[in-house]
This record gives sequence, structure tokens and C-alpha cells, in this order.
Amino acid sequence: MKEFERNKLPKLSIDDLTNEFMDNINNQNIMLIEGIEFLIEEDFENFNINLNIVIETKTEVEIKKTFEAKLFKSKRASFTKADRLKLFAKINDIKNIGEFMANRMLLYRVVFPDDQFKVHIRSINKSLKEITNKISDAVKSIGPDLEKSYEICEEVKEERRKMRKEEWELLHRLWNYDMDYLSRTFLYLKEFIEDIMMMADHIKNFAEYIQFLTTKYLIFK
Amino acid sequence: MEGLSNAIVILLIILAMLLSFSIGGNDESPAPLAATGTLKFNIVLIIGGMGLIIGTLFLSEEVASTVGAKFLGPSVNYTIFMLLSVLISGIIWLIIGSFAGIPLSSTHSLFGSIFGVVITYLIMNPAVDPAGAFNVSKLISLVIGWFVSPIVGFFLTLILYKIIAAFYLKKLKGLNQIEKSETFFSWALIIAVFGVCIYTGANSGEAIGIIYALFDGNYINYGGYWYGKVLLGIFVFLGMFIAGRYVVKNLAAQTTDARPSDGFILQVVVFIVLFVVTPLGIPISHSHVVVFCIIGLNSGKRQEVDYKGLGKMALFWVLTFPIAALVGGLIYLGFFMNGFI
Repeated sequence: MKEFERNKLPKLSIDDLTNEFMDNINNQNIMLIEGIEFLIEEDFENFNINLNIVIETKTEVEIKKTFEAKLFKSKRASFTKADRLKLFAKINDIKNIGEFMANRMLLYRVVFPDDQFKVHIRSINKSLKEITNKISDAVKSIGPDLEKSYEICEEVKEERRKMRKEEWELLHRLWNYDMDYLSRTFLYLKEFIEDIMMMADHIKNFAEYIQFLTTKYLIFK
Repeated sequence: MEGLSNAIVILLIILAMLLSFSIGGNDESPAPLAATGTLKFNIVLIIGGMGLIIGTLFLSEEVASTVGAKFLGPSVNYTIFMLLSVLISGIIWLIIGSFAGIPLSSTHSLFGSIFGVVITYLIMNPAVDPAGAFNVSKLISLVIGWFVSPIVGFFLTLILYKIIAAFYLKKLKGLNQIEKSETFFSWALIIAVFGVCIYTGANSGEAIGIIYALFDGNYINYGGYWYGKVLLGIFVFLGMFIAGRYVVKNLAAQTTDARPSDGFILQVVVFIVLFVVTPLGIPISHSHVVVFCIIGLNSGKRQEVDYKGLGKMALFWVLTFPIAALVGGLIYLGFFMNGFI
């Protein structure tokens, strides 16, 4: 994080800090997703670069510290404190899962079985990028417009349902390839698909939590 | 005999002070303000305590006179043993309520005790005209007040919530707006809580009524009456600050997620009800009104109401008057049987 950005953090509101944190994590997640695209294209150099950036980046820690200090001192947000903290933790979990995925993906240099497999991976990866961006929009809408946030979360859930179908298609292909059962490639690809879905599932759970906040705080017509 | 009489007057004043302390100690009105965290906890208690003192000292005359004189009819006057029986009975029932974990009405307990004591007095003194034992119009207004005040609290809260929700709360779109709005309500809650504490102090006639009865019965003079009031004011403040902090803290901890706007609506309605009945000299149960206001609020928000818990509470409320009457009567009978009267 640049020095001038670090200096501006204490001046930001709790909501702005949340948005800043979300942006930071979202950028790292996009970096991970683009890394997967490099892997599909067998551009291993850029794949390694992207994933190592995800693992090594810790700039969000500064934002987290500033947020926590500000939240606990704030009198304005006293009845929303617990929810604000939980929201922040769920954003942080995206980073944790991303880091886990990156570390796992770097364990082995895989080559995908065939082009059809790549097509499906590309598709599921594209959906992951979409829901990653959408959840970021949903979080940023919490401050100004909870109803809009709710609608975006519905889209996230819908997209994740499509990803689930794509997942089964991929796993079905994987299980029917002619390779040894304990093949490293098989294991890697299986975990690779499951890790993408783990991220997607977390984002879906996050979306449901945002919807819970919406029903909690909005007084509906 | 005069020595015994003076000793009992002093005992009554001491018991009234202790009762005042327990009234302050059981007043949960500042809890919503403590839950918001707007002010430091001790400041919240001081605001609550100051409200109670102001109410007790300057606005309690009507309710005190109802308890201490006007409730009784022309054929009966309080004696010190009557007052002692009433106080002891009231305290016993409140202690039972504390152990049962039920917020009992000290007002109902007091009047139940008075009723029981006077009935026993009438039985022991057949020459006294029973028709003149109670001020019937006061009794009727009291009973009406006890039933009507919670119902009014329910509907007023429901209506006020619906109005505020429709014209204001529903228009708040984002969490930022909601937090800003609730910050405003947190500050407004200070005024509302202060107002409620003033009128809680003014309407809690149990202790001050005893002092008024002593004054009305010429056991103490006007200076003594005011001195007693000041002592009760100090003790109600100490009760809030020393013992009440646990009640307030406990309740505040359970309601940190509650919106300050909800607390504000509740407190405004409770204030309105107390503001209307207190100058009329009608002591009501503050806890009954608060519970019905909470039900009204939950109804407005279409939230669940714990009817089972309410049922248990309602049972104790209904039992309070007759049981306090029985206990008060038995204590007075005990004094009679032992030759004190």
C-alpha cells in the first residue's frame, strides 16, 4: 500500500474502510482468477507471478487494523457494531480462501487433459470472476442502498447455482478420464475444482448474510 | 406509649427510605440509553437518578396524597401500625417477586396491602362504617387506571411506531442513513429517558405515600414531611446508582442490538402515560405499561410475542393484589393479637 494511501486511512469512515478493504481483497481475488486463466493457457510464468502476489500481499492488514480501532471507538455504529465486524470478517475470509487456493495450486504444475476440459474450467472461472465482482458491488451498496445490495446477492446466488452444474460436469469428465486413480494430475484437478467451488460457496454464504442484514435493518413496505 | 409511637414513626421512615432505595434499584428506565453507549454508564445512571429525585421531590404530591390519605374513606384513618403492616407486606411480596424473577408491580402490592389491612381493621372494629372505609371514586379511578394504562400504552406504541415507520424509517435506504438516524434517536433518548425517570419518581407513590400518611395523620409536621421527601429522593438516587446499575447493565447487555429508535418510541409512550396519570393522582404500574408497550412495538414490527412468558407474568400480576392484601391483613392481625393495637 502506498504511503499516501496509508495516511488517508484514519480519515475514512467505517463504511469507507469496509469498501476500501473489499476493493483490496477483490483485486487480489481477481489476480487469482486471472492466474487460473494463465494456467488454462499454460502460461506458467504469469500464473506463478499472480499467485505469489496473492500469497504475499498483506496490504489489507493495515486497513483491518484501522477499521477495528475505529469501530470499537465509534458511538455512532453501536447497534450495528457486531454486524459490521462480521461483514469485515467475511470479506477477510475471501482473502484466506484465496491464499489457501493459491498455495495449493502452486504445489504442482498441471496440464489440463483436453480442450473441452479447459472450456468448462474457463466457464466456471468466468462465473467466479462475475460473482467476485458482484459481491464487491453488494458490499459497497450496503451503505447507500440495502435493497440494491439484496438484488445483487440474488444474482450471486443464481450464478453460483450455474457454477454447481458446471462443477458436476467437470467432475463427471474427470472421473471418466483414462488415468491412474492416484494420479497427481487427477488429485490436483479434483481439488482444483473443489477449491473454486469452495470460494464460490463462501461468496454465496456471504451473499445470504448480506440479505439477512437487509431484512434485519430495512423496514419493508 | 408515646415512645413506642415515635419509635414506629422512625421505623416507618427508615423502611420508606429502604423502599425508596429498592424503587431506584429496580427502575430499568435508563437501560435503553445505556444500551446505545451514547453516554458513559455512570452518567446514564446519574441522569436516571436525577430524574427520579426531581419527580419524587416536586411532582409526587398528587400520587402521594392518593396513597397517604385520599384512598381511604371518611370512616378510616391510617394508624402507624396500619402503615407498618402495609410496608412490611409490600416488601415481603417484592422480595418474593425478586426471587421468582418476575417484575412485580410495587403499586399493586402497596394497594393490595392497604386493602387487606383496612379490611382487617374493619373486621376488628365492627362499629366502623364499612361503606366509608374506601374512597370509592378514587378506588374506581385506580382500578381503571391499572387496566387502561397498559392497554393505552400498547395502542399508543403501535400507532406511534406505525407513523414513524411509515413517514420516516421506511425511507431510510442504506446502512449509513440508518446509523445516522439512529444516532439522532440515541441522543433524543436522553431526553425521553430523563422524562420517564422524572415521572417514574413522581408516580412511585409507595414510599412517599407513607411519609404523606404520617404527615396527614399529624405524626410529623410539614418540615418533617419535606425532610422525609428529601431523604427519599436521596435514597432513590442511591438505589439507582448503587443497586440499579446491575439491573440496568443486565438489561442493556441484552438489548445492545436493539435500535435506539425503538427505545425512543417506548420511552415516549411511557412518558405520555405517566405524564397524564400522575397529576390525576393515579399511581400505575410502570412495569405493566412498559411490557405492554414492548408488545405493541413487536406487534407493529410483526415480531413474535412470547405469550408463554407473558402468561406467567400475568398470573403473578393478577395474584399480587389479593396476596398482598392477605399478607397485609395477616400482619395487621398479628399486631392486633399481640396487643400492640
